[in-house]
Amino acid sequence: MSTETFYEVMRRQGISRRSFLKFCSLTAASLGLAPTMAPQIAHAMETKPRTPVIWLHGLECTCCSESFIRSAHPLAKDVVLSMLSLDYDDTLMAAAGHQAEAIIDEIKKKYKGNYILAVEGNPPLNEDGMFCIHGGRPFVEVLKETAADAKAIISWGACASWGCVQAAKPNPTRATPVHKVITDKPIIKVPGCPPIAEVMTAVVTYMLTFDRIPELDRQGRPKMFYGQRIHDKCYRRPHFDAGQFVEEWDDEAARKGYCLYKMGCKGPTTYNACSTVRWNGGVSFPIQSGHGCIGCSEEGFWDKGGFYNRVTDIKQFGVESNADKVGGTIAGIAGAAVVAHAAVSALTKARGGKEDQNKGGK
Amino acid sequence: MSAYETQGFKLDNSGKRVVVDPVCRIEGHLRVEVNLDSNNVIRNAVSTGTMWRGLEVILKGRDPRDAWAFTERICGVCTGTHALTSVRAVEDALDIQIPENANTIRNLMQLNLYVHDHLVHFYHLHALDWVDVVSALKADPKKTSELAQSISSWPLSSPGYFRDVQNRLKKFVESGQLGPFSNGYWGSPAYKLPPEANLMAVTHYLEALDFQKEIVKVHTIFGGKNPHPNWLVGGVPCAINVNDTGAVGAINMERLNLIKSIIDRSKEFVEQVYIPDLLAIASFYKGWGYGGGLSSKNFMSYGDIPQRANDYTASNLLLPRGAVINGDLSKIHEIDLRNPDEIQEFVNHSWYKYADESKGLHPWDGVTEANYHPEGPNFKGTRTRIEALDESAKYSWIKAPRWKGNAMEVGPLSRMVLGYLQPKQYPIIKDTIDGVLHKLDLPVTALFSTLGRTAARGIEALYCADLQVQQFDKLMANLKAGDTSTANVDKWDPSKWPAEAKGVGFTEAPRGALGHWIKVKDTKIDNYQCVVPTTWNGSPRDAKGQIGAFEASLMNTPLAKADQPLEILRTLHSFDPCLACSTH
Amino acid sequence: MSVTTQDDESAITAAGNSVYVYEAPVRAWHWINALSIVTLAITGWFIASPLPSVSGEASENFLMGYIRFTHFVAGYVFAIGLLVRLYWAFVGNHHARQLFLLPVTDGNWWAGLLQEIRWYAFLEKYPKKYVGHNPLGHLFMYFAITLSGTFLIVTGFALYGEGAQEGHWSHWLFTSWVIPLFGQSQTVHTWHHLVAWGVVCFVIIHVYTAIREDIMSRQTMISAMIDGKRTFRE
Ligand code: HEM
Ligand code: HEM
Ligand code: NFV
Ligand code: SF4
Ligand code: SF4
Ligand code: F3S
Ligand SMILES: [Mg+2]
Repeated sequence: MSTETFYEVMRRQGISRRSFLKFCSLTAASLGLAPTMAPQIAHAMETKPRTPVIWLHGLECTCCSESFIRSAHPLAKDVVLSMLSLDYDDTLMAAAGHQAEAIIDEIKKKYKGNYILAVEGNPPLNEDGMFCIHGGRPFVEVLKETAADAKAIISWGACASWGCVQAAKPNPTRATPVHKVITDKPIIKVPGCPPIAEVMTAVVTYMLTFDRIPELDRQGRPKMFYGQRIHDKCYRRPHFDAGQFVEEWDDEAARKGYCLYKMGCKGPTTYNACSTVRWNGGVSFPIQSGHGCIGCSEEGFWDKGGFYNRVTDIKQFGVESNADKVGGTIAGIAGAAVVAHAAVSALTKARGGKEDQNKGGK
Repeated sequence: MSAYETQGFKLDNSGKRVVVDPVCRIEGHLRVEVNLDSNNVIRNAVSTGTMWRGLEVILKGRDPRDAWAFTERICGVCTGTHALTSVRAVEDALDIQIPENANTIRNLMQLNLYVHDHLVHFYHLHALDWVDVVSALKADPKKTSELAQSISSWPLSSPGYFRDVQNRLKKFVESGQLGPFSNGYWGSPAYKLPPEANLMAVTHYLEALDFQKEIVKVHTIFGGKNPHPNWLVGGVPCAINVNDTGAVGAINMERLNLIKSIIDRSKEFVEQVYIPDLLAIASFYKGWGYGGGLSSKNFMSYGDIPQRANDYTASNLLLPRGAVINGDLSKIHEIDLRNPDEIQEFVNHSWYKYADESKGLHPWDGVTEANYHPEGPNFKGTRTRIEALDESAKYSWIKAPRWKGNAMEVGPLSRMVLGYLQPKQYPIIKDTIDGVLHKLDLPVTALFSTLGRTAARGIEALYCADLQVQQFDKLMANLKAGDTSTANVDKWDPSKWPAEAKGVGFTEAPRGALGHWIKVKDTKIDNYQCVVPTTWNGSPRDAKGQIGAFEASLMNTPLAKADQPLEILRTLHSFDPCLACSTH
Repeated sequence: MSVTTQDDESAITAAGNSVYVYEAPVRAWHWINALSIVTLAITGWFIASPLPSVSGEASENFLMGYIRFTHFVAGYVFAIGLLVRLYWAFVGNHHARQLFLLPVTDGNWWAGLLQEIRWYAFLEKYPKKYVGHNPLGHLFMYFAITLSGTFLIVTGFALYGEGAQEGHWSHWLFTSWVIPLFGQSQTVHTWHHLVAWGVVCFVIIHVYTAIREDIMSRQTMISAMIDGKRTFRE
């Protein structure tokens, strides 16, 4: 097995050294790095072999894969053919059954500690893990075995990062995010349902070029794409600050592109790059197309109340309610109690006032 | 177990059992086991959905207006179709009429999905069953160019272009790191294409990978992203503004132009790349007529793409509706999704529990309660180490839906044949199919096969690419007439809903007939059931032992090599299985 | 710190006696605090449920911006006030400490609490006299202001730090751990909102009881928060 470098691969493809260097400075620019970083990227690419990637699927909907292949820069084609070696991915690979399974074993042996494990979806733990069966056994076992010799793990999407829709209450299969099953490896969460294609490929290229995992926040997400909320960079923000809101679907305000806050937009509480990187090559993003953000990159966003409420439901109390209903009710009760109490107090005082005065004191 | 006969197939599980798990190049987790006779011919087929997430359980008690987002996550490959089905179900339950523009925009998104999904299926999930990547290295780029130019006017066809791709491929293969092509069945005698056709197909595999990301931008414009665009009960979330101040915050002329250009380019790609490739590949496999299964016997379609808003009757649908049973092509039956005796789901061989499993349940009364029990007299292995499943016991996470007791095949082939059978209403479908058959010099009956399924998908992509243009024109005409409304909010507020309501929504998903049944009680979801295309096609046996479409299609197929499941993959892939959908 | 209970009080609480209880900083804080909380509650309500849209260009208007700004200013006042008040608990008289300490190990305090509850349930004919807070009021203040107030400050600045971004003290001090602790930002909003309602409830009851006790109990209340002196009557 040859261990070609990234540079060699590019040269083989007939790319000149000049365009290679240009590629490196473009990469630097697209990652938001100073142009002086370009030589470092070039050096990294010249000396490193193509990193094998095993891409496993648990309980999921495959939209993370679908998103990945939508990447415009770099093209998914170039990522797969030239940047890494996607040796196992059940959605795309030619082989099946035993022939497919053999590849995992081979990569584990040949590249022990040097391959990246990308996980789409998550393992269910109920029913001994058999809500997701892979090769006749629980997916969670395959996941653990494959993780054991991996260099790092990428948790694609809301499924692998947080649990996503199958983990929404009551989570019948006990779908469990990857970091709760694998605890001894660096894990990069790339949440979103699905994540933005170019964010996915940028995370991969970052790891390949710098040979390190990106800087993560406390919740394990790359800061470069998940450090700010949709709301912080939303182009409708001036309308928010002005107090101009869509009040109803397709009203005058909707046609003018006012803020979607009152329609339940979760942009103010959602960390993702949609309002800047946007979707599908920068064409649009949920808010631009008139629907509020549903918070799809946030932990447990399925259970944070309705998608169309600003003050969201709380289920903690067993009944359907929200902070205003609960608080308002209690405040109402308090107010009513105060009035009633005041009335009774007044009565008591009027009736027994004299007596009280006399007997008071001791 | 011994042999028995069902639906015209003789099942015999006495021979050598071969297991394929995982079946790759599909969505989700599928296992298949077959028994081979001494000539390596499949005499028994058992297909198993090996995942379950419990969406129907999770939906209970939630706001019906949110259901589209949950059900959309059933699948990211047929993204949007569940969401559309869901909003239709809720609108049906609450009696909500949507504006004309909303209907047209939904149609555009749905048609867009067909074109995208079919294209990606053909090149990225299916092609490698017919195309030998390694053989492409031996091709003469000049001859490849001649071949390409002889079948299409697609401009990217020079010898130099094919040589570049071949060089890239060569070096890729020489590197020893074969990536997704590792351990493929290269060189198998089951591959029939000459090297030039292989090179052309591989080239277009890469081109299609680049292009598919453009197609979905229609979803991005109307729904904000793809996969998983946004939808709305009562219409569509995108407001239209083509005249006034603030138009840049809505669907405006620039957005419409972008849609137009995407639609035109998609049509071009389908016409000039997808269809010519399909015909070229098919012409080399004409003799391989296996995989018909149920396709000529029992098949159906719910129909889709309503011309006018809010009318879901057969005559208003641009994709046909109806059912054929017992191979009687002369009679197209009507389907009633509300009739408790028509569509029912059985769980005799599925890992679920009913109080009384001798009866099927109509989805409005459907029950989804997991019950994992693989054990049976012929089961081999343990609960967590399955070696061989027992098809006489429960053996799949997929339920067994039946229409009037029949196992049905659904999908592009069913739709196209139903269109073919009704030429008055669907002249274009009829003409296109005739054209394809004529070019390949094949009789209509050739459609009922693995290859027919694959061809029908291509034909449908072509038809839908065309309908996109038509629907776009319709949208523009309506805008010209001054109608820019996109949502009906009369019943947005749950306080206006009845205490109890039930509804059904349907679409034709890329893989076939899709229905969602909802019951609403006190503004919350009381029951939600999805019966999905791959639930139909991937269905396990029922109480009568009737097999589903996957299993039927594998019957009597000879394998070139018993240890290489190429033919099995070929036929299964022709359905474009989606297991996340099937079990949900 | 220690808090006085009844032992030494009987002499002091003789009718006509007057004790200096609330020092100037406590009184000043009380009214500033009251003002900031009212402001926070009103602006908080409009943050969650904004006013009807204003017309005109976005660049000409800043209604939501002003409402939020007011909330944040009041939030600072509230937070700094509580900090200063905490400082005063150390240097002020022993009544200044009450707000931050619940004498839960003191049997007398519990007896007083029970007595006070009975008084409010009209089961006691005569209220007790207290130099400082009565045990029931004390308990309420502790939960509504000391605990809930701190909670609102912590979650409030955690939310504030989200907008202020990394690098701002509030992000470093609160956002960085509060958001992960709750899992996500939306949950923090919900709890901030819910606890805010708790404080509103306290205010309603507190104002009522203050006025009621002023009339019905045998000591001055409102004026005590104005001139600092508790005067006992018969
Ligand atoms: C938002 C409104 C208010 C809040 C949050 C509030 C809070 C407090 C707090 C925390 C204390 C304890 C002071 C300490 O121990 O340092 C207190 C005491 C007091 N407050 Fe208020 N207050 C509010 C409004 C009012 C109003 C409107 C009145 C008068 C009608 C009032 C009358 C009193 C009195 C009389 C005391 C002393 C109680 C005692 O001596 O036990 N407060 N308040
Ligand atoms: C008595 C004290 C307070 C009350 C009653 C109060 C009330 C509220 C309410 C009702 C909300 C709306 C929550 C929602 O999104 O549903 C809110 C939001 C907020 N509060 Fe407070 N709050 C208090 C203290 C504070 C403090 C001390 C701060 C610190 C600066 C603060 C900062 C914020 C911020 C940043 C928001 C979010 C604003 C936005 O999303 O635009 N709050 N508050
Ligand atoms: N089966 C299925 Fe789907 C489709 N097409 C949905 O309804 O793929 Ni994911
Ligand atoms: S995270 Fe969302 S998009 Fe990705 S697989 Fe899961 S459900 Fe699909
Ligand atoms: S649309 Fe959403 S993200 Fe944008 S400003 Fe309004 S609330 Fe914030
Ligand atoms: S819904 Fe998801 S796609 Fe972006 S705008 Fe919100 S995080
Ligand atoms: Mg179902």
